[in-house]
Amino acid sequence: MTTFKHILVAILIMLISGLITYYLKPNNPIIMVFLFLIVVFFIFNLIIRKSLSFKNYFTNQYNLFTTKVWHQKSYDIPKDLMFEKIIEVINSSNFKLVETNKEKLEILAISTITFKSWGENLYISFETNGNETIMKFCSTTLFQIYSWGKNEKNYDNLLNDIENSLIV
Amino acid sequence: MPIIVNLDVMLAKRKMKLKELSEKVGVSTVNLSILKQGKVKAIRFSTLNAICLTLNCQPGDILEYVE
Repeated sequence: MTTFKHILVAILIMLISGLITYYLKPNNPIIMVFLFLIVVFFIFNLIIRKSLSFKNYFTNQYNLFTTKVWHQKSYDIPKDLMFEKIIEVINSSNFKLVETNKEKLEILAISTITFKSWGENLYISFETNGNETIMKFCSTTLFQIYSWGKNEKNYDNLLNDIENSLIV
Repeated sequence: MPIIVNLDVMLAKRKMKLKELSEKVGVSTVNLSILKQGKVKAIRFSTLNAICLTLNCQPGDILEYVE
């Protein structure tokens, strides 16, 4: 799937470059429509990124416009307690807590958009395996094919925050 | 782990709720719940001091070593 994604992105870039050089004239309707669609798509993504309901859209493997990095970590702390703990940790971290679902035990946190980054969506879900709680993290970056290690770095920082918070 | 946390026993003896202890000690109820279950990585002397002061007890009343 990753190879297919890379090939498709390469073809898209070549196609767009070709189209732009061919049609790039002031007030060309094709270019105007193309630019308008890009802007609409960007705005649409920026609006829906702050909702847990669109988790599947951003984390879907067929969505080629986001980077998805999956991690999981287990703790021998009950699921409900761990859920509250993570909320506490996120509130004191660089992430901003956006939405929580106590019934499904899901959390959405985002990092802010800066000049360097399109922003990152962090989806956390909880599962139980015996006495352990497995936390699944999915970090997605919008409009970016590669995360350049930023997602992993943010995940490591969050994990450190969780570990430190277990020292009371 | 051979270290057992008897915080719930001390709370029952002092007839105090976890929330009340949390407010007096300045540690969140989530952290105290995790401590009560003995799932924390470590406990700071400052936290232990505050708990002992509030519950009027010794550290040994809260922490117990069992072989």
